[in-house]
Amino acid sequence: MLSVENLVKQYGEVVAVAGVSFEACKGAVFGLLGPNGAGKSTAINCISGLLQPTSGRISVAGFDVQKESRNAKKSLGVVPQELAIYEDLPAIDNLRYWGQAYGLRGSALESRVREVLATIGLGDRAKDLPKKFSGGMKRRLNFGCGIVHQPPVMLLDEPTVGVDPQSRERLFELVEAERSNGTCIVYTTHYMEEAERLCDSVAIIDRGKLIAEGTVAELRAKLGARDVLQLQGRFPVEQSKQAVKALAEKNRLDLEIISQDESSMTLTLSAASQHLPTVFQTLANAGGKVSETSLRSPNLETLFLLLTGKELRE
Amino acid sequence: MNKAMEFIWASIRKDILRWRQDFTAILLWLSIPLIIGGLITSMIDGNGGAKPHGILLIADQDDTFLSSLVAGAYSQGELGEMISVEKTTLEAGTISINAGEASGFLVIPKDFTDALLNSKPVTLTLKTNPAQTILPGIISDVTDILLDAGFYANQLFGSEIDQILDTGPGDQSNDVKVAAIAVAVQNKIDSAAPLLLPPAIDITITEPPAEKPSVPMALLFLPGIILMAVMFSSNGLAGDYWVEREKGTLRRLVYAPGQMAAFLAGKALAAGVIIALIGALTLVIGFLYHDIAWAKLAPSLLWITASGIALFAWFGALQMLASTQRAANLLTAMLLFPLLMAGGSFFPFAALPGWIAAIGRRTPNGFVVDRLTTELTAAAAWSIDPQSWLVILLMALSGLGICAWRLQTGFARS
Repeated sequence: MLSVENLVKQYGEVVAVAGVSFEACKGAVFGLLGPNGAGKSTAINCISGLLQPTSGRISVAGFDVQKESRNAKKSLGVVPQELAIYEDLPAIDNLRYWGQAYGLRGSALESRVREVLATIGLGDRAKDLPKKFSGGMKRRLNFGCGIVHQPPVMLLDEPTVGVDPQSRERLFELVEAERSNGTCIVYTTHYMEEAERLCDSVAIIDRGKLIAEGTVAELRAKLGARDVLQLQGRFPVEQSKQAVKALAEKNRLDLEIISQDESSMTLTLSAASQHLPTVFQTLANAGGKVSETSLRSPNLETLFLLLTGKELRE
Repeated sequence: MNKAMEFIWASIRKDILRWRQDFTAILLWLSIPLIIGGLITSMIDGNGGAKPHGILLIADQDDTFLSSLVAGAYSQGELGEMISVEKTTLEAGTISINAGEASGFLVIPKDFTDALLNSKPVTLTLKTNPAQTILPGIISDVTDILLDAGFYANQLFGSEIDQILDTGPGDQSNDVKVAAIAVAVQNKIDSAAPLLLPPAIDITITEPPAEKPSVPMALLFLPGIILMAVMFSSNGLAGDYWVEREKGTLRRLVYAPGQMAAFLAGKALAAGVIIALIGALTLVIGFLYHDIAWAKLAPSLLWITASGIALFAWFGALQMLASTQRAANLLTAMLLFPLLMAGGSFFPFAALPGWIAAIGRRTPNGFVVDRLTTELTAAAAWSIDPQSWLVILLMALSGLGICAWRLQTGFARS
């Protein structure tokens, strides 16, 4: 349904997207994950036609975005990060207007608008101005404006930014409903729990490059059963490194150093809680001192940490 | 109706529904020019301005037929519309004029008639109010003229005046005396007539060229005032491009297939509807006040609406050329007031020095004001020439062209 091949977007010397490729399928949610500034929104903007790619090929529902722009746009529904709705126009007229922008007319438009209003739970507020709505209701209307023309492919660019938990849950339900309708959905987020909840497959993007791709299960398998152990304190770099390696060899521990500097150290370690005293003792013997410890079970968040050596929300 | 036309209509409807919510702004665009126009009109009045009016106090100590004639002379004709004569005493009059309660205080002394008839020196005292400028001057001039007239009348008809004064109210032979005096006066006029009539100088009377009926000054202000409302509204409405950009709705429009031109046309036409409403209201008020022929309403409104769309297009283009919303608002505000000043909105071109008026007429709004003045003051309706309509059309198209270019080249995409 959506195919991105070797997408590159450059701004002068700065490479925002460096050869990203992925495919998203019908009736599935494809998650594009990465921290702020990773290149997710740039990729989305290239797909939606907002930006001209420097190179690469994008096709939406079989239509080349550059060569068959009109058909590609017709097949695409975009729910942008910002609330791109008219707050001084009744909700029903917002939906009508965006439906007309995609060529809907007459009774088809009216029935679809009513259907979307019911789907997004704003049927009883149809004639109210969105400026009187709560944040969650505005988000749902923003979502509704993206699906009013029944696109086979949808792009959702961080649709839950600044949304309360209850409204977020409503949005998840809307995304799931669209998926069950057969829509191909590309969902960008930097919340891993959203990706784990919604996405059938995921691509992790960092500094414009795709660093991992697969189903959530496949990506978790890459991490294995290892926990992530983050230590803060004082660590003589070389001595600490040698001491930890020696510990792993001696006790045959599944242990790996992800990142290290003089004040912090990140390790992955199977059954980490059992080995904590040994690790602390080893580091102390190497001249280090642990002042803060954080232990996390394996998930996409820790996978990102493993792959990039940094937090997803940095 | 094809899909592009449908989307133009949808865009018009959308913007009108939205702008209707911001009724306060529309009211402001309308009320500022109306208040200014109202103030100007009330100051100069549609019929040439209000006449001054003042009080002349007269203390007639002579209290004779001649002194009462002098006092009565101030109440005659147009002078009487400006000056109310009130008789008073010397003491009361002095107090009133010192208190600034009158424009002037004239004292006619007791021996005034005797002095006039016997060519003796006499002093009339005129005290004027220094806080006023116009009326005391008029009173002073009129007093001079009256005294001159009295002197010459006495020279010509002194004896007849004596006879009139000698006639008592109970005199049985009044009719005979009046007839005799009338005959004497007539004889004097007849004897002077050969010298005066016909005059010794041949006078050739040449008819001056027929002048156009003069246009009231307040009417000359009307086109500029209307354009002020149009300028405020077109500038305010053009700011909506930035509102749409900041909200993200412009980007959402880029996602849609090829609707940008229809969007632009829709916005311009929606602006046209709002401007037409504002123009219609100001025009109707102006037409009613100045009693302008209603046949000129349709062409005037059409001209205002077309010009408003052209101005909206250019304000929109300027807004889109600016790098930020604040810069855009600053830029258009900096242009708006000098344009209004030069373009005949604060002072009609007829009241400006020629070279300033010539520059003003070349500003976009000045061009519109000039043609609207022609339409409102010409003898017939539809007086604006086809070239002017063409200029407005080109102005609108060029402004919209820049808007379209900016929408395509990044304004809507960033």
